Amino acid sequence: MSYIGVTPTARSRAMVSEARHLLLTVAPGASWIFIFLVLPSAYLMGVAFMTNGPYGLPEMPLSLASFERLAGFGFLGWSPGNLYTLLRSLWQTLVSTGLVVVVAYPIAYYITTCREKWRPILLLAVVVPSWTNQVIRTFGWMNLLAPGTPLSGLAEGLGLIAPNMGLYPSNFAVTLGLVYNFLPFMVLPLYGAFEKLDTAQVEAAQDLYASPVRAFWHAVFPQTLPGLLAGIVLVAIPAFGMYVIPELLGGGKGMMLGNLVANQFSGGANWPLGAAGAILMLLATFIGLYVMRRIGKRLGGGEEVVI
Amino acid sequence: MRKRTLHRGLTAFWWLTLAFLYLPLAVVVLFSFNATNSAASFTGFSWRWYERLMGNEEILSAFANSMVLAIVSSVVALVIGCVFGYGMYRHRHRKLGWLIVLIYLPIVLPDIVFGISEMAFFVQIHEWTGLLQPGLGTMIIAHVTFQVPFVALIIYSRFVGLDPTLFEAAKDLYATPIKRVLHFMLPTIKPALISAFFLSFTLSIDDFVISFFTAGPESATLPIYIWGAIKRGVSPEINAIATLMIAAVAVAAVLSLVFNRRRPT
Amino acid sequence: MSETITADIADQPGATPAAEETPQEAAGRKASSIEMQGLHKRFGRDTVALDGVDLEIRAGEFFTLLGPSGCGKTTLLRILAGLEEPDDGSLVVGGKTLTEVPPHRRSVNTVFQSYALFPHLSVRDNLAFGLKMRGLPAAERDAKVDEIAEFIKLGDLVDRRVDQLSGGQRQRIALARALVCEPDVLLLDEPLSALDAGLRSQLQVELLRVQKRLGMTFVFVTHDQDEAMVMSDRIAVLNGGNIQQVGAPREVYERPVNAFVARFMGHDNLYPVRERQGDRLTTALGTLTAEEAGEGELLLIRPETLDLLPGEVEGANHVPATVAERLYRGSHAEFRLEIGDTTLQATVNNRGRHLPEVGDRVTVVVAPEDLVTLSE
Repeated sequence: MSYIGVTPTARSRAMVSEARHLLLTVAPGASWIFIFLVLPSAYLMGVAFMTNGPYGLPEMPLSLASFERLAGFGFLGWSPGNLYTLLRSLWQTLVSTGLVVVVAYPIAYYITTCREKWRPILLLAVVVPSWTNQVIRTFGWMNLLAPGTPLSGLAEGLGLIAPNMGLYPSNFAVTLGLVYNFLPFMVLPLYGAFEKLDTAQVEAAQDLYASPVRAFWHAVFPQTLPGLLAGIVLVAIPAFGMYVIPELLGGGKGMMLGNLVANQFSGGANWPLGAAGAILMLLATFIGLYVMRRIGKRLGGGEEVVI
Repeated sequence: MRKRTLHRGLTAFWWLTLAFLYLPLAVVVLFSFNATNSAASFTGFSWRWYERLMGNEEILSAFANSMVLAIVSSVVALVIGCVFGYGMYRHRHRKLGWLIVLIYLPIVLPDIVFGISEMAFFVQIHEWTGLLQPGLGTMIIAHVTFQVPFVALIIYSRFVGLDPTLFEAAKDLYATPIKRVLHFMLPTIKPALISAFFLSFTLSIDDFVISFFTAGPESATLPIYIWGAIKRGVSPEINAIATLMIAAVAVAAVLSLVFNRRRPT
Repeated sequence: MSETITADIADQPGATPAAEETPQEAAGRKASSIEMQGLHKRFGRDTVALDGVDLEIRAGEFFTLLGPSGCGKTTLLRILAGLEEPDDGSLVVGGKTLTEVPPHRRSVNTVFQSYALFPHLSVRDNLAFGLKMRGLPAAERDAKVDEIAEFIKLGDLVDRRVDQLSGGQRQRIALARALVCEPDVLLLDEPLSALDAGLRSQLQVELLRVQKRLGMTFVFVTHDQDEAMVMSDRIAVLNGGNIQQVGAPREVYERPVNAFVARFMGHDNLYPVRERQGDRLTTALGTLTAEEAGEGELLLIRPETLDLLPGEVEGANHVPATVAERLYRGSHAEFRLEIGDTTLQATVNNRGRHLPEVGDRVTVVVAPEDLVTLSE
């Protein structure tokens, strides 16, 4: 009986073929994202540290001038315009994220209390509006909030706005638009958290703490925290960089960071200034990614929040 | 009793929220049939805005651009993302943390940063090499970039849900590598492939910001056209196009529901 | 090789298979022997799954790899299937070296623990999968699938969807899917472990009958020693990536070569030999006379070889003891006896005679020919 033994290199050969397989499958997608997103983002970050040329395009030498401009220092001395825009972005993000949580939390809970066969349909009902184009949805709000509409009439009657002004353009309209836009992004992860809720813990808590408020705080809330955090990341980061909604509903006094950045790449071109603004959003993104990974790890690594 | 009041309150809140979610869309649909071009009051039913759409060359070309962009980018993203998702699954036991970050980057990055990064990059590359002239090509590249992660994650989670010994059973039953792909893997993930394609398609149709910044002068899509029309001054024609797009989404929603139901779990 | 499975069966309608044709005879026509030499397999840096395994499996044999989880039995099976490549060593099946042949080019099929039925295919398409991959025309595939469906008595299961099958039905489909390919060797990876006890013993019988009829070489993996003894022509007991013992079920059970095998086969009565004078062995139980007990340093006393006499009776190999515990099991009773500081398990058949109670003094009678010694 003749036989051929496997050479000791069988192991290393298998490892090489596995590594090649990894490369072949993952490389096209990974390099696509790397070339067409990571490199451009890196390039944009570089632009922020260059000088603004005569046509708004970046030039050498390197400088921090665009960050100074972003902080408000221009040819005419310091002006608060950009700083207001920044603060407004933060404020709008904070308020709209808060409101989204307040609305989404009971909604997500409500869906889990319904019969199991209805739940996907209810969830779909929440998500479907977000499948329409953002521009169209925002346009719908323009129609609703314009001067002369019933909603504006109601606000006028209550003395909230001046006659014939309409509810838009205004900061209020932007907040409304943001809440409208991001509600599904919060409902989905929260629903996931509620669905996995360990009811035994809740019952034990009702036994131990008696008061429903305390039972909620000790047994329900901590269990929904990962879903809540994921939802906050999914809402706050894009809200901070929002462009369409403030552009259409905000007017000049409702401008946010996204509009400031976008304007530097179109009308009053100043790429380095726009890039400097974008760096702030990139920072927010990286913080968000970091939080997401931490949540993922705490949930055991296997969990993924897919929108 | 207290529980019952709570549930009633929640139900009322649910319907209020639904009204909030559908009101802006309902208004658009309603006013697309308005007889006059008033945005404030409905004065009577008419098809006139839809009739006007049909004769508008600009809208028809924007529609064509949207379709070409959505279909081509979805197909490319499906191929790349499917292979990517399989690779992630096959090598899930390795440390792929950097890959996860790479996958989530396009999902989490604000659209505006996404759009201007690519625009600035494409402009720079075009200046150096003459390649990547802004137009449908650059838009397709940009759309594929944000579609690939979604496809990869859908395919990945489909594979994770499978019994891993199925792969071994296919080998054991004489399937060569190519036959394993054709007779086992592709048929098994077919539902995931279909839903990944539809999601990619919807994401592409849905996108405005990234398209806006990567588009060329000739490659306006429907959302870009609508944006321009809004900026120029609201016209009821926009209501009509928007209504058609809402209808398309509604049909897609019903289809996805039917499709999901029919699929045995 | 051209005969089909039903042709095999048609030779012996309704008869108990072993009576008409021995496995060895059947093996002469269709079955392959397996030779493994020096198989090594490591996972990662430190986990040794196989530490130099030499094993010969005869053609037409029902051979069982038995051991606790992590002993290497599954790795060995996966190397046979080609799903794992050994780091070193060789594998020969039916005279052909398969060491580096990929699974899809081996005439070896597996029944997986999870059954691994393809969810996207009907039962019929699952059964035909291997034949289709081998390039058989549709008509031949259908004929073979019908044959195997009749042979395994699948009835109308063939036309169902996979998700409509129960656990036992899936198991039979998985078996049929592998058998229809007529492999040289069939591998079974704990195929019955997911089933409840009743169904399990029913399928054990069925599996055994199928193997005897086909005369195919079966390599069966299990961690259940009862199952191994019921099913196997021969058993290999593995531990820590090494083969401990190979032998027929009786041999392994009655003459285990070491303490690991003895304990794994369910023996607890093991006593270190303190002193040895010819046939007389002294342990914690006292001094006993043994016949052909071997040279090992541990004495094994199987509980079912013992007799219990009421009261204290003098005699050779008579050991006085106290009943500490009695488990009445209907057909038999199990006793835990105290002898000085040590305990001894005894199993006594219930023949309607008097059974001692807890606290009774009894005398244990040990037959010299039933004593075995083994090494640590």
